Amino acid sequence: MKSKFSIASALAATVVAGALTVASAPAVSKDIVLNMAGPDWGPTRFLQEYFNKTYKAKSGNNVKLVFDFIPWPSFYDRVAASLTSGEKKYQMIISDSQWIGTFIEGGHFMKLNKYIDADPELQAIMKDIHPAMTENYSTYPHKSKNYYGFPQFPDTKVTWFRNDLFCHDGERADFKAKFNQVLPCSYDEWKNTDWDVWANVGKFFRRDKGAKLGDGVAEHDFYGVAYQAGKVGDFSSMQILAFIWQHGGDIWDEANAPNAQAEGVVNSAAAVKGFQHYLDILKYAPPVHKTGQMGIFAIQELFMQGKVGAIIDWAGVAPPALDPKVSKFADKTGFAMTPGLRKSDGSIDRTDNIGGQPFVLTTWNSEEVTKEALEVVKWWMSKDVQIEFSKNGGEPGLMSVMNMPEYNDFLPWNRAHAELLQYQKDVWHTPEMFEMLTQQQEEFDKAITGQKTAKEAMDAIAKFQQELLTEVGKIK
Amino acid sequence: MRDFWQWMFSPSRRGPMLIAPALIMLFVMNIFPLMWSFGLSFFHYKASSIRPPTFAGLYYYEKVLTDPVVWERMQTTALIVAMSVLLQLVIGFALAMMFEKKFPLRREILMLVLTPMMLSFVAVGVFFKLFYEPTFGLLSQAYSYFSGEPLTLLATQWGAVWGIVIADAWMWSPFVMLLVLAGLVSVPDYLYEAAEVDRASKWKRFTTVTFPYVRGLLLLALLFRTIETFKIFDVVYLITNGGPGTSTETIAVYVYRVAFQFFKTSQSSALSYILLFIVIVLTNLYLYFVKKRGEEG
Repeated sequence: MKSKFSIASALAATVVAGALTVASAPAVSKDIVLNMAGPDWGPTRFLQEYFNKTYKAKSGNNVKLVFDFIPWPSFYDRVAASLTSGEKKYQMIISDSQWIGTFIEGGHFMKLNKYIDADPELQAIMKDIHPAMTENYSTYPHKSKNYYGFPQFPDTKVTWFRNDLFCHDGERADFKAKFNQVLPCSYDEWKNTDWDVWANVGKFFRRDKGAKLGDGVAEHDFYGVAYQAGKVGDFSSMQILAFIWQHGGDIWDEANAPNAQAEGVVNSAAAVKGFQHYLDILKYAPPVHKTGQMGIFAIQELFMQGKVGAIIDWAGVAPPALDPKVSKFADKTGFAMTPGLRKSDGSIDRTDNIGGQPFVLTTWNSEEVTKEALEVVKWWMSKDVQIEFSKNGGEPGLMSVMNMPEYNDFLPWNRAHAELLQYQKDVWHTPEMFEMLTQQQEEFDKAITGQKTAKEAMDAIAKFQQELLTEVGKIK
Repeated sequence: MRDFWQWMFSPSRRGPMLIAPALIMLFVMNIFPLMWSFGLSFFHYKASSIRPPTFAGLYYYEKVLTDPVVWERMQTTALIVAMSVLLQLVIGFALAMMFEKKFPLRREILMLVLTPMMLSFVAVGVFFKLFYEPTFGLLSQAYSYFSGEPLTLLATQWGAVWGIVIADAWMWSPFVMLLVLAGLVSVPDYLYEAAEVDRASKWKRFTTVTFPYVRGLLLLALLFRTIETFKIFDVVYLITNGGPGTSTETIAVYVYRVAFQFFKTSQSSALSYILLFIVIVLTNLYLYFVKKRGEEG
């Protein structure tokens, strides 16, 4: 009797367990592949590896994330070629923020409002994302309430400097004697550094080969400071716009189209003054700046090879500076806030251009694929994953992670990055952005290489933008 | 069905059947895109936009031909073509004269001299970009050894143009050398012997015996290199990216920007067809000289 009962119980248990399993899993588990285009660097490699290691789709489907890692120099070309050819290869794309207008107008990037409105989890994420990222990574038209993306890697420019020089007692004393200013060493000293101090650092650390430098002698000609001055991509613009904004100048305001004008704004006296200020300090940089080829990788290399004392570059390209295999001063590198323009009240304006990339979904995804892609977004934007990303060279998009007390210790530039986010703005997101940027880069380059004055360059930029935007009906 | 296969593989159709795959590939990969882009040049169309094309007639041809930027880029291209091709002809000729004579390790040195033209454009572009770099670059290091100052060759328009011309000439002078060398070795020895008997000077021997034999080949080299240099893109894009400012932006780099950065598909198609027309004229000249030389031979 007892055995009969046992058999019956076992059978019943098996049936119940089976029924529960059936109820909790989909009738058929599907294979879903999310092809994603992304630049080939640490933040995307981490996303792929961490996804492979930890992601389990809640739906029970077998979701695979397949990255197409594209080298940075050809990233835009490859993504643009794929989208405009109509091959519909990617379900998700890591896009530069400025591109979104072009590809939204082209019908490639998916508007996400209806999914966000229907999902409390996504709404909570949107609330936790830093406003600078929501505005610059997600909205089109710029600053509207139409949302298209989520931060994959938010980036800001920070100051990289040599501890062994800036914290050297002798150098600090000499700097004080020469300029009656403090040579910045600690985080707070850097926080109090304006462009005047930065320029003096440039003058001070210009040493010829064989001259005394810190505890030793310069092995080669040494330069104090460097920042972006490159014609390729957006290099020059990313630094020059910071000067223009800080001096009270502006770019064409697409959020106020068609009433906003380019002429009179882009070439205002304040904008010209800002650009001239940038040019005045640039002369202290290594001589490659004269060729207009001092981009983000050039200054990174100059710094890591010990040819310049301090640079302003993206946090996103900072990890190699701490790697002794590629950087000669990996153990002597510090990070701080960027300098800015001292205002009459003594405060420092650090308005700057945001970097980094959002990820977006494409319009040809089926509802099922969209749902799975948004689940991946939710997983990526979850606090635990964002913390793990932050510990492994990335930057989080969530304020709740940046506000954690231990966040500043994850990476040496985190404190500066988090404090600088409040100052970030972005260039245009309009589809005409590429023409505007290319022409602007050419004109900036002419001034950097001495072919034009700052005023002539700014006038040419304003005239070009006024004509172009009037032609397409965005200025009336 | 059997009748069909028999009909298809009959001996009279074997030839067409064998070349059909190649023709289909040619049509799909070359002819169709050419025709398609030619058609697009008569429409308002942007590859990045979802708006359907609308007829524009000759609007973009007129726009391109009256665009001062296009003429500016044409002038830059002409300058680079003139300087680079001239340098290639001079260096190539000098190298050919050198390698015509027998000397120790001639074959090995010849192999080394030929290497640049076998390299990829990207490798050459990156190599010269680093070579000219003012802080790390070998050229600047050597210059500063004597002058105490770094050399920023690419900082001025003329410096940047020379930078591109040197890189292009370095890569393609061996090609000119090969052509000229082929002419030089074909000069019969008895002509030189006869000239020596007549006590002709070295210069006289060169102008009356050597040069007539290589003149045709030199002309071929001139035309071929002009056509190729006219399309120069990779080296310019990598070394200067058209800078400083726009002073080295060639017409090919400009077409790339219009087509793939600004997505003005119709305008870039119209510009490309105008360039194609120029290249076809040059190619016909080239073929004419090839034919003429064949007839002389």
